[in-house]
This record gives sequence, C-alpha cells and structure tokens, in this order.
Amino acid sequence: MNVALAPRPSIVTREAEPFVTLDGVTKVFDHGKRAMTALENVSLEMTKGEFVCILGASGCGKSTLLSLIAGLDKVTSGSIEIADGRPAVMFQEPALLPWLTVRRNVELPLRLHNVDTDQRNQTVNRLLAMVGLIDFADHRPHQLSGGMRQRCALARALAQESELLLMDEPFAALDALTRDSLHDDLNRIWQETGKTIIFVTHNVREAVRLGDRVVLMTPRPGRVAQIWDVDITRPRELDSFEVSGLAHEITARLRAGAATDGAE
Amino acid sequence: MERNRFQRILRAAWPRVVAIGMLLGIWQLLVVVGVQSPGGEPLPGPGDAINEIGFLAHTNVLVPALLQTLERAAVGYVLALVLGTLVGLAVVRVPVLRAGVGSLLAGLQSLPSVVWVPIATLFLAIGGQVENAVYFVVIMGAFPSIAMGLMSSYDNIPPLTFSLARSMGARGPRYYRHFIFSATLPGYVAGMKQAWAFSWRSLMAAELIIGSTASSGLGQILDNGRSLDDLPEMFAAVLTILVVGIAVNDLVFAPMERGLLRRRGLLPA
Repeated sequence: MNVALAPRPSIVTREAEPFVTLDGVTKVFDHGKRAMTALENVSLEMTKGEFVCILGASGCGKSTLLSLIAGLDKVTSGSIEIADGRPAVMFQEPALLPWLTVRRNVELPLRLHNVDTDQRNQTVNRLLAMVGLIDFADHRPHQLSGGMRQRCALARALAQESELLLMDEPFAALDALTRDSLHDDLNRIWQETGKTIIFVTHNVREAVRLGDRVVLMTPRPGRVAQIWDVDITRPRELDSFEVSGLAHEITARLRAGAATDGAE
Repeated sequence: MERNRFQRILRAAWPRVVAIGMLLGIWQLLVVVGVQSPGGEPLPGPGDAINEIGFLAHTNVLVPALLQTLERAAVGYVLALVLGTLVGLAVVRVPVLRAGVGSLLAGLQSLPSVVWVPIATLFLAIGGQVENAVYFVVIMGAFPSIAMGLMSSYDNIPPLTFSLARSMGARGPRYYRHFIFSATLPGYVAGMKQAWAFSWRSLMAAELIIGSTASSGLGQILDNGRSLDDLPEMFAAVLTILVVGIAVNDLVFAPMERGLLRRRGLLPA
C-alpha cells in the first residue's frame, strides 16, 4: 500500500484545469489595535471531483476559509475563483428549517430556483433514497436523530445541484458510531455524484479516511502548514493500518506545530 | 374514539372549572360576609349576576350589545393587525427605523390606550361618528403588540438561518416567503394573541367612556348600570366581558399558537 508521506503538490492539480483556485487569500477581522489576522496568504488549487479535507485545531481559520469560499464573507486580499457558480454549504449544525418536513427541507433549494413539481419530486425522492431517509420524508426535523438531521442537511445541499460542496465540520457533534456510518455514506455519495468536496474538520482520522488530500493548517495567523496526498484505496476503514499510520504522522506534525506555536 | 375525545376535553377543562369555582367561591364569600356599597346596597352574588345576564338576554338587550361589541372588536383588531404588520415589516426591513421606532413601539405598548379616548373623542367622534373614535383607541392599543412581536421574532432568528438563505442564493420575495415569514411566525402569533388582550381592554374603555349615545355594546350596558345604580347589571356586564375575553383567547388564539409550536417540536406532542 502506497501512502504518500511527503508534502508535495498534487500531481493531479498540475495536469488538470483547476476547479477552485485560492490565491494568496488573506482575511483580517477588525481594524487597528484589535486587528486579527485569521488567514494569511492561503493558496490552494482543487480539481473537479476532488475530495479535499482541511484540517486544523480550532482557531486556525479553517471555518473562515470555508465561509470565504462559500461567499458568505469577503476576502481582505487575494482571490477565490470557482469554475462553476455558487457552492452548496453544509454547516456543523444541520440548520434544517423546523417548520418544514424532511421532504420540504430537501426540496427548498429547488423551490427557490423554480424547478417544476414533477422534477422536484423526482430529485427529492432520489436524494432521500441516497441518504437513506425515504421513510422519514414526512417527519419534521425535531422527530429525527442527530445523524438523520445531518443526512437531511446533506440531501438538501445535494439538491442545490452545485458541483462544489463545502462541509464545515458536519459530523463533529455526532457520536462515533453514527459518524462512522455517515463517513461510509458520504464516501459512497461522493463517488456516485462526482462532486468536488471541501471538508473542514479538526479530526485527523476523519480527514485521512475521507480525503484525496489533507491540508493541514496552523493557527494565528491561519496558514497552510503541509499537504498530504492520501493514496489509500477506498472505501477506507477508520481503524485500518494505513489510515492509522498516516493519521499518526499528521498528528505528530500537528503537535510539532503546536509546540513551536507555544514557544513563540 | 368518541370516548377518548370526551376524556380529552374533560382533562383540559377541569383545571379551568376549578379556577372559576375558586373565583366564584371568593365572590360568594364576600357576599356572605355582607360587603355593601357606600350607598348601603348589598354586593350582588354570582347567582344574581347570572340571573341578570338571563334577564338581559331575555329582554333582547344582551345579544345585540354583544354582537355590536364583537363587530367592533373584529374590525378594530383586523385594522390593528394590518397596521402592526406594516410597521413591523418596515422596522425589520429599514435599519434606520430600527432604534427609534423600536423604542417608540415599546413606549406605545406600555401607554394605556384609555389616554387616547379624550383626543379621539375630540377629533374623530364629530357629529356622532363614535365608531371612528372607538376604532382609533382599539388600534392604538393593539397594533404595537403586533409590530413588536414581528420585530422581536425577527431578532431571534438564528444567524445560521440567514447564512443558509444566503448560501442558497435566496433573494427577494422568495427569501421573505421561505425564510423570514416562516421564521417569524411564532413571535407574530404570540403578538397577535397579546394584541387581542390589548384590543379587548381598549375597546371596553372606549365603549364605556365614549359613546352612550350611539348603538350600544357591552360597555354601554356597564355604563347604563352605573347610571341607574344597578349593581347586578354592572356585575353581569363585567362577567360577560370576562367570559368573552377568555373565550376568544382559548378558542382562537391559544389553539393557533399551540398548533404552531407543536408542529415545530417546541411543545410535547
């Protein structure tokens, strides 16, 4: 099994046309004495269909980066280019609308974009089947478990029919068993749909299990510390030898970063 | 099924029955103790008031008065609802209006609407146009609750909901329909419920003070009782006004609010 260890630029990125391009992205909150640099000179390229995990401790600016890519906030300097329209976003909280049923929640993006009823029903049924919620279509969010809520949020994000899916620690609040089964499903859905996914997490194993590449960020200011290509065959097991091995290496790098960070 | 329904009504009803029983008990106790008006008239008991209600109904006074008052309440309430909704929307949409109008609304809400009676009488009740003055007082009493309900529920929308709407590219009328209206609905309904209480009490104040000349409502029965020193009639009027207030709340607004909260999982099913 070939596990790439060296922090080298992805070969794929060099050859294919980039789908998402971050160029020198810098984000400063506030002004003057209270100015806080959340991100400094972050450059990154992603190809179409790639699954990239952005990994870092809390406060490293990874969520800020995601909301910049999502267009929910503006860069201070640098640029973000996405080849195809508005990305779909999935948040740490499911953010389901409590007054709508599961079906209605999933269908919301389609309603907002005037999709006709027949096509809407078709799409929603397909997505609900994909995330395993078809039997819960008429439930309301409060009647669902935490894992089901995130499945519903995933289906809703997919309903936006954007090529780019941004995920901000979507499974962080779930128990380990539920998270594991959602990892399996996400991996399957990603392979089925060919979406480009940027997945933010603080969980090293989660990043290694899911990503084609893992981008490690260090805090204050948020910077890209190192990038790993993950050449482990899919589907991956959370406790497999390869996943554990790479996770171990990344954790060591993360600790080293934290140590120098503390020494500064 | 039928039996279940009956049991459910019974279960919902008995705390109310107990509460009303306690109220009537205290009232009866005051009668037994021998409370009198300064003029030496004995306090009428619950029985006397209920008898008087029967008498007023029998002599064809009560029902027309009740209908007249309910019509005023309905028209005044709807006008307040429209005004309150418009003001609330304006405050939510225009940030500049926010601070100023927001605190003004809170002030208006705490202002007893009776204070508008003299002004309304002077300006609006010209040539026997009593209704306009009555509506004005009701609207001033009720619309701030509607606007405040809308405003505060808008403030309580989770920031994530706005992020979600933006990330989905929701704009314009669709943004309002799918996100803002639905998200503010519980607060709006709570405001509607509160506005009913305010409009009912404003209406009684207005009827009592403004117009004994025009077509009469429940307030006029009360005023009539005062003119004639008819204590049972006064108590009959008060009792009727109380019952209507409770009935509208319990039959219209409370179920509306409960249904809404239950559908959203904010109440046990």
